[in-house]
This record gives sequence, structure tokens and C-alpha cells, in this order.
Amino acid sequence: MAKYILKRIAGIFIVLFVVMTAAFFMMRLMPGGILDGVEENLSADMRDLIYAKYDMDKPIWEQYLLFLKGIVTEWDWGVSLKLYVNVSVWDILAERIPITLYLGFLSLLISVPIGIAFGTLAALKKNGIVDHAVSFLVVLFISIPSFVMATGLQYFVAYKWGWFPLIYDDSLPRITTTFLPVLALSFTPIATITRYLRAELSESLNSDYMLLARTKGLTRVQATLRHALRNSLVPVVNVIVPAFISIMGGSLVVESIFGIPGLGGITVRSINVADYSVTLASLIYYTLISLAAILLVDISYGLIDPRIRMGGRKDA
Amino acid sequence: MGETILKVKDLRVNFRAWAGTVQAVRGVNFELKKGETLAIVGESGSGKSVTTKAILGILPSNARITSGEILYDGKDLTKLKEKDFYSIRGKHISLVFQDPLSALNPIQKVGKQICEALRKNEHMTAAEAKKRAVALMEDVGIPEPETKFSQYPFQFSGGMRQRIVIAIALALNPKILICDEPTTALDVTIQSRILDKIKDLKEEHDLSVIFITHDLGVVATVADRVCVMYAGKIVEYGTVDDIFYEPAHPYTWALLSSMPDLDTREKLFSIPGAPPNMMYPPKGDAFAPRNRYAMEIDFEQEPPFFKVSDTHYAATWLLHPKAPKVELPEVLRHRIQRMKEEREGA
Amino acid sequence: MHKEEIKGRGSQYDGPALENDGLAAENNGPALEKDSLAPENNGPALEKDGLDPELMEIPQEKFRLVNLDMDESDEKFKGKPIGFLKDAFLRFSRNKVSMAALAGVLLVVFMAFAGPLMTPYGYNDQNPEEANLPPKMPGLEKLGILDGSRWLTSCRKDSLDEFPEGSILEIGTDVEKIRGVEVVSVKVDYYKYTGVEEDTYHYFGTDYLGRDLWTRLWRGTRISLLIGFLSAAANCVIGVLFGSIAGYYGGKVDMVMMRICEVINAIPQIVLVTLFILYFGSGLVSIVCALLVQNWVATATLIRSQFYRYKGREYVLAARSLGVSDRKLIFVHILPNAVGPVITRVMTAIPSAIFTESFLAFLGLGIKPPETSIGMLLADGQKVILTYPTQVLFPAIIISVLMVCFNLMSNGLRDAFDPTLRGA
Repeated sequence: MAKYILKRIAGIFIVLFVVMTAAFFMMRLMPGGILDGVEENLSADMRDLIYAKYDMDKPIWEQYLLFLKGIVTEWDWGVSLKLYVNVSVWDILAERIPITLYLGFLSLLISVPIGIAFGTLAALKKNGIVDHAVSFLVVLFISIPSFVMATGLQYFVAYKWGWFPLIYDDSLPRITTTFLPVLALSFTPIATITRYLRAELSESLNSDYMLLARTKGLTRVQATLRHALRNSLVPVVNVIVPAFISIMGGSLVVESIFGIPGLGGITVRSINVADYSVTLASLIYYTLISLAAILLVDISYGLIDPRIRMGGRKDA
Repeated sequence: MGETILKVKDLRVNFRAWAGTVQAVRGVNFELKKGETLAIVGESGSGKSVTTKAILGILPSNARITSGEILYDGKDLTKLKEKDFYSIRGKHISLVFQDPLSALNPIQKVGKQICEALRKNEHMTAAEAKKRAVALMEDVGIPEPETKFSQYPFQFSGGMRQRIVIAIALALNPKILICDEPTTALDVTIQSRILDKIKDLKEEHDLSVIFITHDLGVVATVADRVCVMYAGKIVEYGTVDDIFYEPAHPYTWALLSSMPDLDTREKLFSIPGAPPNMMYPPKGDAFAPRNRYAMEIDFEQEPPFFKVSDTHYAATWLLHPKAPKVELPEVLRHRIQRMKEEREGA
Repeated sequence: MHKEEIKGRGSQYDGPALENDGLAAENNGPALEKDSLAPENNGPALEKDGLDPELMEIPQEKFRLVNLDMDESDEKFKGKPIGFLKDAFLRFSRNKVSMAALAGVLLVVFMAFAGPLMTPYGYNDQNPEEANLPPKMPGLEKLGILDGSRWLTSCRKDSLDEFPEGSILEIGTDVEKIRGVEVVSVKVDYYKYTGVEEDTYHYFGTDYLGRDLWTRLWRGTRISLLIGFLSAAANCVIGVLFGSIAGYYGGKVDMVMMRICEVINAIPQIVLVTLFILYFGSGLVSIVCALLVQNWVATATLIRSQFYRYKGREYVLAARSLGVSDRKLIFVHILPNAVGPVITRVMTAIPSAIFTESFLAFLGLGIKPPETSIGMLLADGQKVILTYPTQVLFPAIIISVLMVCFNLMSNGLRDAFDPTLRGA
């Protein structure tokens, strides 16, 4: 198990390194350069000064090493060049990460139980009216992009009916003011989990071990809970990562629709004004968080499924 | 043989399928006597597994018992509610599955899977249940049961898994053990060991056994009496000797002729054609289209059971007084001859 | 006792014994002699007595053996074999939901080409005088929807007569006093109110530059579909090639190639796509390429597993031992097995590409104006949602319909190609 985890962590560092390197070089080598847009207002001296200040007069690979060194030794992610001039990128992110994580986890926290409930319901009543209704909703939720949902919710629920604030409002309780964005982010993961669990559970319900459980005298409910449902929840862990990553992706846009001062909003803005150091850092952050999610799931999967924990083959 | 412990009367089971209704079991009658092993033989799709599932009340949700009775202990199991079945399954009637790999929950320790029944139904404490489970594992021939108790199914070999399944089936001391092709998924060498084990356990635990198989070789080893099933009906039944030495139904002939053995030099016989589509069961004798000895009447009217002897009945018009006398196929005659000699020699 | 009987019965078989081969000859005779049969059957007396008399009344000729000339070998299969693709197609076409989804997709595709031709406007014809008009459609306007009307809020009550003649449709009852002036909501025929020429119709209204949104939306749909199809096709080609090579050669080649896939797959799509677009700049080709960076990996893994399943099959080994070239083995003998999953995969890739494109548009990384796409229209409309909600409504409807139809269709295809997955 320890070996398994170590292997996973090593894999994650490789990916992280690849992303960081690629992102850094792409940003620095980007046509227009780092001062794109403000350059013309600066005198040549000023420009050289700025370049020198941010080590940009050095060869690119040295810049990269300095960048890495800065992160490793001083947790220095550079400074914002356009959005908040000279403010440390890390400070900008640190202020915004909590609300983004809050949105993401809250949405996941809502989606997982709802998805499990719907999926179970649909599998137990397979081909019944409930199942068809759930399947219909699943297709709808999976198909409609979260930003369309967000737009719809914002217009109808917030604007027309006035149930919730139109955009993020610091003075209101967080739960009220983030209710709609969280909801908008939750539709897709709910549908994904529902669809997956329904398939898994209906397979386990028809499995031999389910029959065996019943022939040894367990009631249908006991057998379903202890064997079919438990076993089909294990692979659901598999979809939680993609679900979480899709939530994080969705929050990029949903945050800017609702004007939430989170990472998503700042990323979109930094892309739009070409504040590359902020973009770079937030993209690395997004990679990091999704890699962490993958690791978490891999580990928990190993903990739940003895076939992996014991180093046995998964299909054995 | 003692009293009748289980009696199936005119059992009919239909399946609702996408394209129509499948008549999987079409009027099956048999009795299981206390302490005997009754084998039900037939090709896949002949309705043998469905019959056992009906006995245990674990038919899939698209199946309906349309008529008939399953009498056990003064109760008609077909009328039983799911709730009442809980006290029957495991405690009175148990099932051993065909494929031990898929029958065991892959992510639960085997010991727990054995204990589960004990704890739920006998309300044993964890310690008691474990003690009993270890004893059971020893009983079914698992070495080092204490260690194996906390292992997972994927750490067991096929034969050992099947022993676990048998241990689970025996956990609550059932009266009847139904074995649904328990050796099909196993290696030949393991097969005979499992069969011996089932025979031993039957004596030890005073069981009555229903043994489902398509393998006549297995039947010869374990069974006291045999029912031959075809297309949802029993076509012939009798003692093992009746069926092996005096087969009367052409389908039984065909089954016996298609059984491979070392002494046969001729081309192995195979039954021509395929079993009928049970969505549209044929009129008359279902086997007629594949039967070399079919008569006109076979296509028109279903044959009743003709008595061959007190223990031996067969549903074929060939036994009708007016039917032409048909000789057993030569291959089969030789084979039976050899089997008899072997037995006398042994 | 019963042994005796069996003997008796057995002797019947031994009796006038019909040899296997002799049977046919016997049958040719003038039926079986009834008389010679009867005494035989008297043997096991019980049996005859036990018989239902009705059974005895069955006429003798019914007991003729009719199947003796049966060939002992297996029958030939009856009927023509249906090809795999045809079979899948039949199953697909029987599925009502899939067919409806297909119709939906076809309708949108049709409109993407015919839509812009149905108006006199070009997709980039700007007309500031007709900016932000509400939708107005001939026919439907009589029903009170899409009639070019709009509520104007907070109009000074005393200025109502200054409105163009006939433009006021309804005056609201919510009279309010603001700084001593009575204001009220007024529903106006916005086309008349802004003085647009008579008989001007903008089916979906216009945007802030006065561009006709009907034309732009269908034009944008065309671009979105193009992006979807192109990236799905390219992803399929790359995935199939990569997966085939990895799956066919296996071993070290496979291991290295799969590690590459793993690394690419571990990066969140958004990050990868954003980086790519940032570096290469936005534009149609760039977006299609960005969608490719990661999407082919799933196709490749799928193809690879198909190869692992089939490359060990006897027929492949047989072909190989006959000296068939690698290329032919891959493309003729193994790959056709993967046709079902690949088609299904392409069908799921299209909506996900359309989705990603509109996502990028929201990020401000969409294709270059004045060209447009559904995502661009959504993003533009979203900015003015509170004042002109219809500008976002129609693109939202079209993208939702498109996504739902494509998803339903790929479900249907999956079921059609692999019936065992039905309903999963």
C-alpha cells in the first residue's frame, strides 16, 4: 500500500513538473511578451528596468530556474503586472482560493449524496417511471453546460423571482449568496454520479453474489445495502474526481457570471488582460488541485478495494 | 428412501422479455425424497436453473410463476411472500452456485461472508459466529481456516472458492441443498474432489440434494435419481440405473450418446438442430424436430408420461402401444453394455 | 419386482428389433402391422391398463416415423446473416429516442446552413439604428410572442404622448412617484418606438451593433458544428493511429505510449486548452487543435484495448502466419472490430467539443470576431442578460438542444453497437 501511494505521488510530481514547465515556457515565449499592452507607454529605460527587475533580461532557462527557486525557497510566485500591479501573485490567489474551494467542495458535497440517491432509486426501480424520469433529467443535466444553467438561474431565480442575490454580495451570509452558483455547478456532477451509479448498481443487483446473499437468508434490503450498494459505491469514487475537476472548470466561468471574487474570476480576468504571472499561477494551482484530488481518490480506492490494496490485479 | 421433503407440482414459469413472453418452465413435476440426491439434467436453457430459482423465491423480477405448487414443510412456496422466504432460505433450503468467483462478494472477507448469515439469522455474537464459520471451513476442507477466514475471495483458488460457497450454503444447517452446476466452472481434477465433498457433507449433515447439471458423468457419480429436462419440461425420470441402462426417451438417448468417453471409437454424436425458441414452444413434443425417431403424433400432441417401471417414467409416444418398436441407437447400446460391464467389474 | 418389468420392457427393444438402418425400410412397408404389436405390449400389463383410453384411440397412422432421413449433422443456418453494421443500424433505427435525437441534430444542421439564407441580413451587417431590437417573427407576432414588443420601465407619465404614434401597446398599472414625477412601465412595439422601417423583421432580434441575431446564431451554429466535427474527426484519426500502434506492438512501445497518455490525461483539460489557446492565439484552427491536445487520448486507450482483445485471436494469428503485413493486419483484420466504439466515441466527442468551444468563448478565448459561434453569442448575450434576456435565450436553447440530441444519439449508438449495455 505504501509503495502504491509513493508511486502515485511520484507520478503526480512528474505531471505537475511537466505542466509547470510547459506553462512557464509558453507564457514567457508568448508572442507579445510579458509587457504586452503596456509596453508602448514605457520608455526603453523603464522597460529594461522592469525586465531586469523580473529577471527577464536573462536567458529563458535561467528565468525558469529562478522561478522554480523562488517558489521552492520563498514561496514566491512573482508579482502581478497588470491587474494589481506589483502585488504578489500568491497574495492575490491566497485571498481567492478559499471561496473557490468553498464553492467546489460545497457543490461536491451536494452532488454526491443527491447523485447516489438518484442513482440508487433509478437502479432499484429500473425501467419504471421513476427510472425514466431520472434518466431524462440525467441527459438534460449532462447536456446543458453549467454556464448556461448559471445564466438561466441568474435570470429567473435571482432577477425575475428575486429569491437570491443577483451577484455575490459580501454582506449576505455566504450560503445565501453562493447558493445559485453552487447549484449551477452541481447539475453536471449530480447527473454524472447518478448515471454511473445506476449502471453499477443495476449490474450488482443482478450479480451472483447478490443472489448468494439472499439465499443465505438476508432480507432483500439487507442484501442490497450490504452487498449490492456497498460494492457499487466503490467504483463511484472513480467519477468523483472527474466530477470535481469539472466543477473546478465550471467555476471558472460561473464565478465570473455571478461576480464571485474567487480564483475563477481572477483567472478569466487575468487571461483577458494578459496578466501572465497571475494566469500562470492559477493554471498551476488548478492542475495541482486536480492532481491532489486524483491522488486522494486513488488512495481511498486502494483503502476500499482489497484487490488493489493487496496488490492483486483489479480484474482478478 | 424416506418421505418426500419437497414436491414440485405442475410448475410453470414465464419470463417477460423485450420481444415477448418466454415460457421457461412448462409444467414440471418432481419429488425430492429425504436423504436422496436428485439430479436434474438438461442442456442450457432447458429451465433447470429457473426451477431452482423458483424454489428459492429468487426469480428475477421479470419472471412470473403462472401456475403450480412447490410444497415444502406443508407450505406452498409459490404463495410465499418475500418476507416469509427469509426464514426458508439458508435455514431450510440453500443454494450452491455455478460460478464461485462471481457468487462471492469480491470486496468482503470470506469469513465475514460466512458469518453474515449466522449473525443475521441465528443472532450469534461475532465470536460465536467466527467459531462456527471456522468449523464450517474446516468441514468443507479448507486448510488453515483461521488464516483463510480473513482473506478475500481473490486470494483463493477456484476449488477453494467453491468450498467457501458450500460453507456459506451449509452455515444455517439447511435441510435441502440445491447445487446449480457446482463444478462446471472448475478444473476437472478439482471437480471430482468437490463432488466427493458434497457427497460426504450430504451424509454428515443429513441433507437432501437437488443437483443441477448438464454433465451426465457427474450425474452418474452423485445422483440417486435423475430427471431429464428438455425445453422447460421433464421428459424422463427414474433412478440412475433406469436412466443410464434403460433410457426410454429419445432425448435421453441423444444425451447419453453425445457424452464423450474414452472407449468410443465412432464419431461423437451431437444432437442436431438447436433447442426450440421458448417464446413459441412447439406443439406436441418439443424435441420432435430434432428427434430422429419422431412420429407424426409427436408434432401434434404432447406425449403424456408412460410408465416404464415403478420408478421410471418417460414422456414419449414411442412407449405408446401403437408405436413402432424402435431399437436403441447402436452406439448407445454398446455404450450401455460397456457401462454395465464396468460396473459389474468394479 | 421392477427389475423384472424393465427386463420385460427391455425385451421389447430386443424384440423385432429395428436396426438403425433397417428402420427406413420398415417405414416403407404398408404401415406397421397392428397385430404383431399388440401382444408385445401386453407384456408389462400395468402400463397398458394405466393408459387413458383416449390415448388408445389415436389412429395408428399417427405413429409413423417421419424424421428418419434427418441429417445428423447440424442444420445450416437459415436466413441470411445480417452484417454487424446493418444490425446495429437496425437496432438504432428502432430506437425512437435515438431517431428523434437524430432528427433534432439534422434539423439544427439544416438550419445552420439554411437559416442565414432566410433573412436579407448578412451575419456582420451592422446597423446602429436597429441595435438591441427584440425578436419579431411574422406569424408568431399575432400570438403575442416574438412580436417585437418590450416593456420600458420608468417612463415619465407625462411624456407618453411623445412616443411615436401607435407604438404604445399597454400601459402598466405600477404608477410610482419619483421626485414628484409619475413614472410607469410601458409596453411598446419597440420596432415602431425606435422608428425602424415598416416590415422589418429580426426573428431573434439584434445585438448591440444592430446585427441580426437569427443570421448570426445560425452562422455561429455552423461554426460550432464545424469545430465539433473537425475536432471529433481529427481526434478519431489520431486516437486510432496512436491506439493501434500501442495496442498492436505492445511491450515497451505500448508502455511508453501509455505513460504519455497518462501524463496528458492527468492535466485538467481547461488548463491544457487555455494554455494552448493563449500561446497560439484564438481562431478556428487553433481551437480545433486545442480540443485535440487531450481528447484523442480516450480514443487511443479505447482502440488499444480493442487491439489487446483481438490481436491474440486465432484468425489474426492465422493471417499473420500467412505472412500478412502489419499494416494489413491492423487495418483489415483488427480495426474493423472497433468500428462500433469508435463511432460512439466520435458522437460523444462532438458535443464535448462544442461545449469546450463555448467555454473558451466565455473565457474570452473564443474565435476572432466578427466571425461568431454559439459560445461567443452566449458570452455576449450574458453581458446584457438583465436588459435584453432574449439575446442569451436563443443561443442557450440551441446549444442545449444540440447537446441533448448528441448525447441521446450517442447513448442510442452505444446501445445499438453493444446490446448488452442496454440501459446502462
